[in-house]
Amino acid sequence: MHSTRSLALVSLFAALLAVFGLIPKIDLPLGVPITLQTLGVMLAGCMLGPRRGLQAVLLFLLAVALGLPLLSGGRGGLGVFMAPSAGYLMAWPVGAWVCGWVMALLPARSPRAAAVSAFAASCIGGLLVVHFFGVFGLTLLAKLTWTQALIGTLAFVPGDLIKCLVCATVVQTVARGIPDWQFGGRTLR
Amino acid sequence: MHSLYSARRTWLHGVSAGLKLSVLAIFGTLQFFTESLVLLGALALACLVLWVSLGSVAWGARRLLASLLAACVLILGFHFWLGHPMLGVISTLRLLSASLLGIALTLTTPSTALLSVLERVLSPLQKVGVRTERLALQLGLMLRFTEHFFVLWKRLDDAHRVRTGKAGGLRLLAPLAIQMLLAARRVADTLQLRLSDQNL
Repeated sequence: MHSTRSLALVSLFAALLAVFGLIPKIDLPLGVPITLQTLGVMLAGCMLGPRRGLQAVLLFLLAVALGLPLLSGGRGGLGVFMAPSAGYLMAWPVGAWVCGWVMALLPARSPRAAAVSAFAASCIGGLLVVHFFGVFGLTLLAKLTWTQALIGTLAFVPGDLIKCLVCATVVQTVARGIPDWQFGGRTLR
Repeated sequence: MHSLYSARRTWLHGVSAGLKLSVLAIFGTLQFFTESLVLLGALALACLVLWVSLGSVAWGARRLLASLLAACVLILGFHFWLGHPMLGVISTLRLLSASLLGIALTLTTPSTALLSVLERVLSPLQKVGVRTERLALQLGLMLRFTEHFFVLWKRLDDAHRVRTGKAGGLRLLAPLAIQMLLAARRVADTLQLRLSDQNL
């Protein structure tokens, strides 16, 4: 049962990432697009834990690599892994893993505690880790300096902070609605 | 959910998925070892010729090309602005070549063929307990869940509109998550019954 449940949940969160990619992106005044897909990465980590969160994001990226137009704006295929933003894509599995790992470490004894932990886990895994790899990708693929890439990525941070809050809210609601849910791979008491 | 693959035949459709993937992997790696503008320019031109040779299939994917060109212009402009035009040209040529090849492969190779190559490549991992044979099943489930998400979202949004007269937006995310998680548990139970004799 444990194995089939993992299979279903991993597929479910990969689907959630796909759905978030099909929701139209919001463009910031500077032309930087904000999509909901990093919210999917945060949710996968916080809800499923490090291992299954990582698997969900890898499954989603596999579907993208196979040519399904699941990234925001209908992008897909192997070409997206060579674009300047490839660092952010590569960061998603790591970000989900870190989210899950941090979530498993932090207290989740009540829905409110779970929400606070989810916010912290999302900030670390979904924001810091993803942006670190994204900036690294920009320096490698677009040959920007670290400072230039860092300045460029800062425009995404306010939107990502809002996503961390949304992730925390969803975790809190799930903790109330499904009291036996295993956040970060353990049971909410 | 439609793949970006085009069923309209081109010469590249006849080349095996494994060979195309190998060329892409080798090419993508090798071009990072050179900074020769002439060589990178020639490679980019070759990729462009390959792209144009796909004819109407390439034209059908012009949206993908447009977003790639926009990224190239941004990188080029940024480097020009910072006073490193040569670096900008080199980075742009590399990105353009690799991305064009990637898109060409996606357009001319069915996802089932790519999946089969991937399963073959990953098969040694079975010796260390990774169940690579699950990939196709998981991809199928993912697509099914994607459709189900939309159906459920629409149902919740309709209910919200009836109550408030407004669209639900992000407010629907939490109830949607709960309903989908419960649906995943039901699917897991069914899978357990169906797959218990297949050792999946």
